[in-house]
Amino acid sequence: MTKKRKKRGGSILSVIYCALVYLFLFLPITVVVANSFNATTSKPYLSWKGFTLSWYVKLWENESLLESFGNTMLIAIASTILAACVGTLAAVGMYKYKFRGKSVIDALLYIPVVIPEIVLGISLLTLFTNIHVPRGHLSLIIAHATFSIPFVIFNVRARLSGYDNSIEEASMDLGANRIATFLRVTLPVLAPGIGGGALLAFTLSIDDVIVSYFTNGQVKTFPLKVMESIKSGVSPDVNALSTLILLGTILLVVLTQSDLPGKLRAMAAERMGK
Amino acid sequence: MREKKSGGLSRHTFRSNTLPALCMTGPVTVWLIIFVAVPLLYVAVMSFCSIDQNYNVVFRFTAENYRRLADTNYIQIYGQSLLIAALTTAICILIGYPFSFLIARTKGRKKGLLYMLVIIPFWTNSLIRIYGWRTFLGTSGWLNRGLEALGLIDEPLDLLFHRGTTVLGMVYCLFPFMVLPLYTAIEKLDRSMIEASEDLGARRAATFVRVVLPLTAGGIFSGSIMVFIPCLGYFFVSDILGGGNADVIGNLIERQFQSGNNWPLGAALSITLILITLLLVKLYQKCGGDMESLGG
Amino acid sequence: MKKRVIAVLMAAMAALPLSACGGGASTASAAGNAGELNLFIWTEYVPDAVIEQFEEETGIQVNVSTFSSNEDMLAKVRSEEEGAYDIVQPSDYMVQQMIANDMLEELDQEQLTNLGNIGEAYLDPSYDPGNVYSVPYLGGVVAIGVNTDRITDEITGYDDLFNPAYADTTVVLDDTRAIIGVTERSMGLSMNESDPDTLAEVQTKLLSWKPNIKLYDSDSPKSALISGDCTIGVAWSAEIALAMDENPAIEIVYPEEGAYKFIDNWTVPKGAKNYDNAMKFINYMLEAETGQAVAQEFPYLNPNAAAIELMDEEYRNNIAKNVPQEVIENAEFVENLDTDTLAILDQMWTELKK
Repeated sequence: MTKKRKKRGGSILSVIYCALVYLFLFLPITVVVANSFNATTSKPYLSWKGFTLSWYVKLWENESLLESFGNTMLIAIASTILAACVGTLAAVGMYKYKFRGKSVIDALLYIPVVIPEIVLGISLLTLFTNIHVPRGHLSLIIAHATFSIPFVIFNVRARLSGYDNSIEEASMDLGANRIATFLRVTLPVLAPGIGGGALLAFTLSIDDVIVSYFTNGQVKTFPLKVMESIKSGVSPDVNALSTLILLGTILLVVLTQSDLPGKLRAMAAERMGK
Repeated sequence: MREKKSGGLSRHTFRSNTLPALCMTGPVTVWLIIFVAVPLLYVAVMSFCSIDQNYNVVFRFTAENYRRLADTNYIQIYGQSLLIAALTTAICILIGYPFSFLIARTKGRKKGLLYMLVIIPFWTNSLIRIYGWRTFLGTSGWLNRGLEALGLIDEPLDLLFHRGTTVLGMVYCLFPFMVLPLYTAIEKLDRSMIEASEDLGARRAATFVRVVLPLTAGGIFSGSIMVFIPCLGYFFVSDILGGGNADVIGNLIERQFQSGNNWPLGAALSITLILITLLLVKLYQKCGGDMESLGG
Repeated sequence: MKKRVIAVLMAAMAALPLSACGGGASTASAAGNAGELNLFIWTEYVPDAVIEQFEEETGIQVNVSTFSSNEDMLAKVRSEEEGAYDIVQPSDYMVQQMIANDMLEELDQEQLTNLGNIGEAYLDPSYDPGNVYSVPYLGGVVAIGVNTDRITDEITGYDDLFNPAYADTTVVLDDTRAIIGVTERSMGLSMNESDPDTLAEVQTKLLSWKPNIKLYDSDSPKSALISGDCTIGVAWSAEIALAMDENPAIEIVYPEEGAYKFIDNWTVPKGAKNYDNAMKFINYMLEAETGQAVAQEFPYLNPNAAAIELMDEEYRNNIAKNVPQEVIENAEFVENLDTDTLAILDQMWTELKK
C-alpha cells in the first residue's frame, strides 16, 4: 500500500518535472505566437497594444520576407537532394568496395559534423572569395550540402550494417545489370535510411544561421531575414510567419500521428541497425 | 578521382570494380576535398600570414597572429567560452537525463507524442526563439510585468545581458542534442538487467550507479560532445542574450572576419578552435565514444 | 511509411513558398525591365516607404542589404565579387579609406541635378574634395541619452558616463572607433590618437567604463532605452531622438567635451552593374520631398537644406533632431589610422569585451 502510494507520488512528481521541461521548451514559442497577434506598429514592437489578426494579412504583402522563406525552401530542397544523392552513393560505395584513401574520406566526413559551424562558414567564405564563386543561391546550396552529406552517409550506413549482400548477387545472377540492381534492389532496402538522413539534412538546412551568414551574399534565407529583423526589433509579421510554419509542422505531425509510436520504434530500430 | 582500386577484393573479385567504386565514391571524395579539406588547409596557411594597409592578406610567414592570441585577453575569452560550454553541458545533462529517462520509459502512444514534443520547437527558427527569451526576460518583459502585477517585486529584475542569460540561451538551443542520444541509449537499456540487479537485492541508487549509468554513459558522452562543441561557436546566442558581455570564441572569429577585417587573425582563432575541438573528440573516443552516433 | 511522411512534409512545405511567390512574381517581372539596384546601407537608415516609392516611380527593383558598422561594410564589399552592390553608404573616414583602396567609382555629377539641395556647409568635404566619389546623406553626432526617471544626476559630458554609480546601466554602440573615440574625448584627447603610450592611458580609462556597460548595440540602441533595459545610452543622435519620442523621460545630452561626428554618404563601389540606376537613386534621394520623408522617419542631421525648409517648427526646434550648429562645430571626425594603430584599438576592444 505504502509502496503504491510512493509510486504514485513519484509519478506525479515526474509529470510535474516533464511539464516544467516542456514549459521551458515552449515558452519562447508562446512569446512568438502571442506577438504575432500584437496590434503594436511602433518599433521595437515590445509593448502590447491589443489583439489583431492584421499581421497575418500584412505578411502576404511583405515580399522580401516571403522571398526569404522561398529561398530557404529552395536551398533546403536542393541541398537535401544533392546530399542524398552524393551521400547514398558514397555510403554504398564505401560499404562495398575497399580502396586506398578510404580512411581519409572517412576522417574528412567527420569534420563538418564535429567542427563548430563557424569554422565551416569562414573556410567556405575564404574558398568562395578566392575562386570567385559569386555568393548567392549556388554558394548556399553548396555550403548546406557540405554539412548535410555526412548525415546522409551515417544514416544510410546504419541501414547497410544489416544489409544482406546475397540479394544483390541473386539479382545479378538473374541477369540484372549493376545499375538496375542498384535501383531496384539496393535502393528500396536503403530508402528508410536515406529518408531519415534527408529529413535531418532538411531540418539542419532550414534552421541554419551561421554557415549561411558567411556564404549568403545578398540572398537572404528566412533565418538571416530574422537575424536582420532582430537588429531593430522583430516585427509581428515575422512572428506571424513563424507561427504559420509551426502550425504547419504540428498539423503534419498530427496527420501522421496515427501510427507514430510504431514508426518511432521502427526509426529507433533503424538507428541501431536492426 | 583520387582513390585507386586495390587488388584482392573478397566478394567481387570476379568482376571489375574500379568503375563502380569510382562512380560511387568519386563524387563524395571530390566534394570533401574541394569544400572541406582545401578550405581548411587554406585557413591554416592564412593563419600564418598578415595584412597590408588595405586589409589584403599578405603571404609572408609570420607567427604574429598566434603571438597575439597568447595575450591574456584572448585567453580569458577562451576561458569564458569554455566555462559557458561546460555549464551548458552540465545543465543539459542534469535536466536532460531524468527527462529522457521519463519519456523513454513512458508506454504506448504517449511516448511518441512526448518525443515529438521535444522536436517540434526546433522546427521554429532558433533565432526567433532566442529573441523570444529576450522579450520574456527584459525589464519590461512578460516575466517582470507578471511578477509586478502579482506584487512580488517592486523593481524589475535585471535578467538580460549577463553570462547566465547566455548560458540559458545555449541550454535552450542545444537541449535536444542532449536528449536525443540519451533517449536512444536509455531505450536500448535492457529492462531485465535492472530487474536482475534489483532482484539480487541492490538498492535503487546502487542499481542506477552500477548498472544504468554505465550502460547509458555512451549517450551522455555523445550528447556532451554535441552540446559542448557548438556552444563554443554560437555567436548569435551571446549577441542576442549576452549583449556583448559574454562573448564566446565564435564572436572573436566573427569579428575578425567582419568588422575587424583581419582574416589572418580570424584564421588563427579558427585553427585554435579546431585544435580544441580535436582534443575534445580525442577525449570522447578515449571514453569509448562512437563517432557514428554523433551524426545520427 | 516514413518515406511517405517525409514526402508529405516536403510537398506541403514546398507548396507554401510557391503560392507565396505567385503573388509577388507579377510585380517582380514588371520591374524586371527597368532593371535592378542593389543597395548596401546602414540598418534603420532609409525608410522603406521611400524605397518603395522609388520602385514605383522608376520600375527599378531595389534589393536592400544592411550593415551595422563601416568596418562590417568594408569586409563584406571586399569579400563579395565586384559588382555585387551598386550603392554603399560609408561614413566620412571610410569614404577616404575606400578612395585610397580604389574601391569607388566616380559619380556622374551631370545626372545629380538635385545636388544643389545640399547645404553649402556639407559640400566639398575634407574626406572627398569636390564630391567626386560621394554625396552626403545624413549625419549626426554620438550623443548621450539619459532616462531622467531613473538617473537623477545631471550628466553634461562623456566623462560623466564613467561614474561607477552607473554600474550596469549603459547601452553603447557596438563600434570600435566610436566607443574608443568617446573615451578619448572624455580625456580631452583627439579621437585619432596613434601614440601607443597615450593609447595605453585611454585603455585604462576605457576599462573603467566596462562595469557600466550593459549592452553593445549599433543597430537599434534606442530599443534598450525605450524598454527600460538600459537607462543611459551612448548612441547616434537620432536614435536618442526617436527614444525621446517614445519615452518623454529620456533626454539628450550633447557632450561638453565636443562630440564624435559623422556624415554618411552615397557612393558607388567599383564595378557596379547598375551604374545609371544608382545615379537615379542618389538623385532621387537628394530631392527635397524625399529628404523630408527621411527626416520625418530618421531624424538625423540632414544636409538636405531644401528638405529642412519643408519641415515643421517642431522638428526645427527639437535639438535632438535638428542638431544645433555649435554642437557640430565643436565636434570631431574620426580619420583613417594605420594598421598598427588599428591593431592596438582592436586589442583594446577585445579587452573591453572579454
